[in-house]
Amino acid sequence: MRLGPLTLPWRRNPHANDPYWEHFVNTPFHDLANSVPELLRNAPEGVVFPAKAELHTPAITSDHLKQLATYLGACMTGIARLEPQPVDEGGPYPYAVLCAVTADYDPRTAPGLGGQVPVQNALFVTFVLSAWMRELGYRATAVEDPDAVNLAVKAGMGRRTADGRLETAKYGTGVHIEKIIRTDLPLAADG
Amino acid sequence: MAVAVEKATTPAAQPDEARRPDARPDIPPPPSLGRSVRYVGPVQNVDMNQSPHPMNQRGELGKALFNYQHNTVSKDPLTRVSAPNHFNDKRNFIATVVNQASKGTVNPKRVPVDDPEAMTRHIKAVAHYMGADFVTIAKAHPNMMYAGNRYVQDGTAADQYEQDTPADLVRKFPYLIVATTAWDYDKLQAHRHHIGDAAYHVSQIKGNMLLKSLEGYIRELGYTALRGVANPQAAGIAGGMGELGRNGLVINEKFGARIHMPDPIMTDLPLVPGKPADIGVPDFCTICHKCAVTCPTNSITFFDRVPGEAPKVERDASGFGVYNGVEKFKINWLTCYKLRPYVHEHWSSCLTCAVICPFTKPNTWWRTMTVQALHYCPIPARPLLVRTLKAIDDRFWGVVRQKRVRWMGYDSGIKPGEQACTVAGCTADHEAGHSTSVDSEIGYYAPLKENTNRFVKRGS
Repeated sequence: MRLGPLTLPWRRNPHANDPYWEHFVNTPFHDLANSVPELLRNAPEGVVFPAKAELHTPAITSDHLKQLATYLGACMTGIARLEPQPVDEGGPYPYAVLCAVTADYDPRTAPGLGGQVPVQNALFVTFVLSAWMRELGYRATAVEDPDAVNLAVKAGMGRRTADGRLETAKYGTGVHIEKIIRTDLPLAADG
Repeated sequence: MAVAVEKATTPAAQPDEARRPDARPDIPPPPSLGRSVRYVGPVQNVDMNQSPHPMNQRGELGKALFNYQHNTVSKDPLTRVSAPNHFNDKRNFIATVVNQASKGTVNPKRVPVDDPEAMTRHIKAVAHYMGADFVTIAKAHPNMMYAGNRYVQDGTAADQYEQDTPADLVRKFPYLIVATTAWDYDKLQAHRHHIGDAAYHVSQIKGNMLLKSLEGYIRELGYTALRGVANPQAAGIAGGMGELGRNGLVINEKFGARIHMPDPIMTDLPLVPGKPADIGVPDFCTICHKCAVTCPTNSITFFDRVPGEAPKVERDASGFGVYNGVEKFKINWLTCYKLRPYVHEHWSSCLTCAVICPFTKPNTWWRTMTVQALHYCPIPARPLLVRTLKAIDDRFWGVVRQKRVRWMGYDSGIKPGEQACTVAGCTADHEAGHSTSVDSEIGYYAPLKENTNRFVKRGS
């Protein structure tokens, strides 16, 4: 049980008496076609809506984007300015949107579905959020980026630990960022 | 294989005999569905090709509804990424990606299940861990099964069991898992509005994902998981998801009517089924009528349930009576459905009957206490308790729900058809301009009831 910043000492593992939980968290998939995280990771992206939506100011648009990310399941959302700006055939991407979800297990070391649930949740958020940005008429692409933790630090979400994880004030290292969203949607960068 | 569309029928003269759905002695009697729904006669399996969406896909419900469902791109960006069939590019709609994925194989190394109760707790814990809000297990019965092909709106349902009869499927795969997600309470207050749509559709696509994931996990455990084979309402009610209300929705003990009833997972994984819930829904619906009063299309019956009396069926095929061997409340789905093309600029899912239902409240201690009071109240005393609770509901939540809701720049305080930016501090140059005149806390929802009486007129 969490009481503000305190974690009460009698907090118990709710799955301690579940004989199958270890299998759920740590047993790798025998067939990746059964894995929704894998399915979402390889999902194609749709096109940008041909008409641009009427936007509010960048600060308000950023606030609305964070409201939607929270509603989709992100525990924290940050916006970082990209320097240098990556460029593809449509032009440069000035911003990166970082969506973190809570993670009881480190997906890098827990290959079972339970261990990959943060990946599933994070990909759900980035899929729908980037699709919404494209439907607003702006370019947005969700990509895996080895620099994601550094960008999250730049966006003021927390600090980088020695083993390369993001550590936040509220959730500690119990967060996971799977993909970042590069976009040219006019936003206000954090940090 | 028997194929039927739901039609009003008379109750069988001998209920005990009618409990045998066909002549085969190896089929058990149908399960109890609690007090809100009863099997009272032979049930013919319903072909889902005769249900509303497939009928509309074939153009059998008229041009307006066909074009709305298949040729209308929503003007709302969030609707385009969260609601079925109104996208600009289907690759921006996650349910397309999830539903069209090919199915994985069953793991040949089956995890042995010595204790089905432990496995039941595990499956429920897994579903909750992935985001489900309520999970139940039902014992499958042929009455709950669809006839004909699998009901899968996207992708393929082909597998080695596709030609099996309902009875054979039930024998091979005796359990149905119903895992659902609840609609956000605060956003839902903006019913008949894009904010309410977000409550409904985002929880729906989240539910699609978690059910696909749960289905894959069951295969990884070494057991079969089938989709598109069973009626979710029947399975949910049998397993304890809730009771069927006058509005045709399953009403849940924690969330009221604000839950989806998604496609159940049929499996041979050893589980322990739940029992039907008793939270006083039939007692409430007999007295309440709030959903029937506020339905913008008059699609919900005012008739009351009177046990033992002949069924009451209105000319519009709604009412309380026996439909295909099942005694229940039934709405007029056609008039409910037909409104949508005329309001698609304002919303895509009505939700009014779910919002106004007195059971639809935040999941708080006082709500739990009230539902428990109904559960433990002796049935003869329930009408008195229900009248008291309804009076409280009318007093504090209103006879008609008109709460103003603001979220992400959407504002239900702006009248339908008008456009203005009401976001505080916004200095952007909007074509429609900024508005500071919206200062009341009243929400406006299209259409007004008096403008929709042409769908079904009451009192004639």
